[in-house]
Amino acid sequence: MANKIIAWVDRRFPLTSFVKHELTGYPTPRNLSYWWNFGFLAGFVLVLQVVTGIFLAMHYKADVNLSFDSIQHIMRDVNYGWLLRYMHATGASAFFLVIFIHMARTLYYGSYRRPRELLWWTGQGLLILLMATAFMGYLLPWGQMSFWGATVITNLFRATPFVGDQIVIWLRGDFTVGDATLTRFFALHYLFPFLIVGAVVVHLVALHTVKSSNPSGIDLSHKDNIPFHPYFTAKDFYGLGWFLIVYCVFVFFYPDSLMEPANNIPANPMLTPNHIVPEWYFLPFYAILRSVPNMVGGVVAMGLSVMIFAFMPYLDRSRIPGGAHYRPVYRVLVYIFALDMLVLGYVGYTPPTDGTILLGQIAAFVYFMTFLCLPFISKAEENWLLKRGFHPELEALVAAEQSAIALRNGGGVK
Amino acid sequence: MKRHLLAIFVLFSIQAHAGEEGLSHVQVQTSLAAIQRGAETFMGQCHSCHTLKYMHYGDLKHFGMDQHKVDEWRGDQALDAVISSQMSDEAALQSFAKVPPDLSLMTKAREGGPDYVYSYLLGYYTDKDGMTANHVFPATKMPDILGGSMTSDAAQLEAIRKQAGDIVSFLTWVADPHEQERQRLGYYVLAYLMVLTVLLYLVKNRIWSRLK
Repeated sequence: MANKIIAWVDRRFPLTSFVKHELTGYPTPRNLSYWWNFGFLAGFVLVLQVVTGIFLAMHYKADVNLSFDSIQHIMRDVNYGWLLRYMHATGASAFFLVIFIHMARTLYYGSYRRPRELLWWTGQGLLILLMATAFMGYLLPWGQMSFWGATVITNLFRATPFVGDQIVIWLRGDFTVGDATLTRFFALHYLFPFLIVGAVVVHLVALHTVKSSNPSGIDLSHKDNIPFHPYFTAKDFYGLGWFLIVYCVFVFFYPDSLMEPANNIPANPMLTPNHIVPEWYFLPFYAILRSVPNMVGGVVAMGLSVMIFAFMPYLDRSRIPGGAHYRPVYRVLVYIFALDMLVLGYVGYTPPTDGTILLGQIAAFVYFMTFLCLPFISKAEENWLLKRGFHPELEALVAAEQSAIALRNGGGVK
Repeated sequence: MKRHLLAIFVLFSIQAHAGEEGLSHVQVQTSLAAIQRGAETFMGQCHSCHTLKYMHYGDLKHFGMDQHKVDEWRGDQALDAVISSQMSDEAALQSFAKVPPDLSLMTKAREGGPDYVYSYLLGYYTDKDGMTANHVFPATKMPDILGGSMTSDAAQLEAIRKQAGDIVSFLTWVADPHEQERQRLGYYVLAYLMVLTVLLYLVKNRIWSRLK
């Protein structure tokens, strides 16, 4: 019976061939480490956010006079409303954590390199969409930090040449952040996740065209690939178990640790909080914004700091195969960059003093220099490694790969 | 490398608590008795000026507080009435030039949370001009309700500290009435997830063992 139904569907829709092509037959390198779990986790958190968000929207009121109260209504009166809201708020942080690890893995193992440039750029687009969605969602509780965060960030668009003031009014729908801003942010916060879903499909189509990278950084021959299902579905679900444990510790025991106390005060346009801080996932970029004394310069620097990842396929000019594991100089750069992000996060969190401003400027300089020096460093590293010889493991991998290719192509023609 | 990361995290956590320096720590009680004692003090002392606009008298009863007490507090107001203050906003503006803040979320709305409210309540002292001041919130308009600045008697101070602790326990419950339910559920959820993760690990190993 089941076979009959599937056959019926298959005559009208490529169900079996789709499952075979994308899952049960999709070739995946068998040496993928647990760092490759985070793409799946990002997809999971996306679904989690959409589902909890839709249920929250059923109880939320986008109105400056009602939204703060409606959040409390959700927290107190709606059945398991507190669970929905804490899952959604914690989910935002979880999403960024997972995406940052996913990006760090790509950078460390050089997964952005040829032929995966488009895959990396669709990911870059997803990062921008995610940031926009999170930013608009943060306005909705209409607390003090919601209001002032949105005021500060929309104000940055004043830096647009010639039409800056008009752009800011156009974005807010008013001269200040108000009811018009709240309702449009709500509408867009509901829309954007579906754009993200669409962009994820594009990301996956690109992935399934170029296939997954792997820790060795070179494309493995056919014998080292295994089908995605059941091997990586099993591995991804095991990783999901760990993710859910960490996530639920926050949801059930420390849900407020990721929220600013000031956001438990209703928005008050007459009273500026002492210290306006964005959510943790924006802190490094916020620190870069503040490090430039000139506003336009700061906005450009912040925009560039997010977009500069897109240039990685061209900035990294080394032809040495393999990720940071086989490239000692590049590896040091990756670590410096990760450390620098933490320093920037710290600077973004603290109120500006002479010391932290200087630290922020140094860290912002290091941030851009790691990217801008990469073309020269990667080339120099390539020359050095060619002279000195590769990592023995890489040497063995390349040799095995070449003999496999020779075997496949050869077969007597040689 | 790891040590450097650790140092940064330590720095981070120190910084995160920097705003909370000078606050004394309070052990928030979650027992019905402590919360009800806090509610009594609240109704007697704080309620004349402050509201709890996200709380209804019925919520107190529903939580398990003494029915007679709740009836006494609400007087002729309905059980589902919001706990509003006994002072009108106009009268408050006249007396303090400011409407006293709603306290429903107070233990979540300040850096330091319950510690802040506790330290604030006990933070009153008499300055050299003989005026009452508060070292936690110098701009406050609230008089020293618990009277900590007016006594030096150790037993009395201890009683005031206990009273402040109970108020904070009550307000912490008011700020998040589902906290105990949330944590109870959390233990079950985590236990379930741990078993599930072990099983998923075994499944994964079993499937991957086919490769060898």
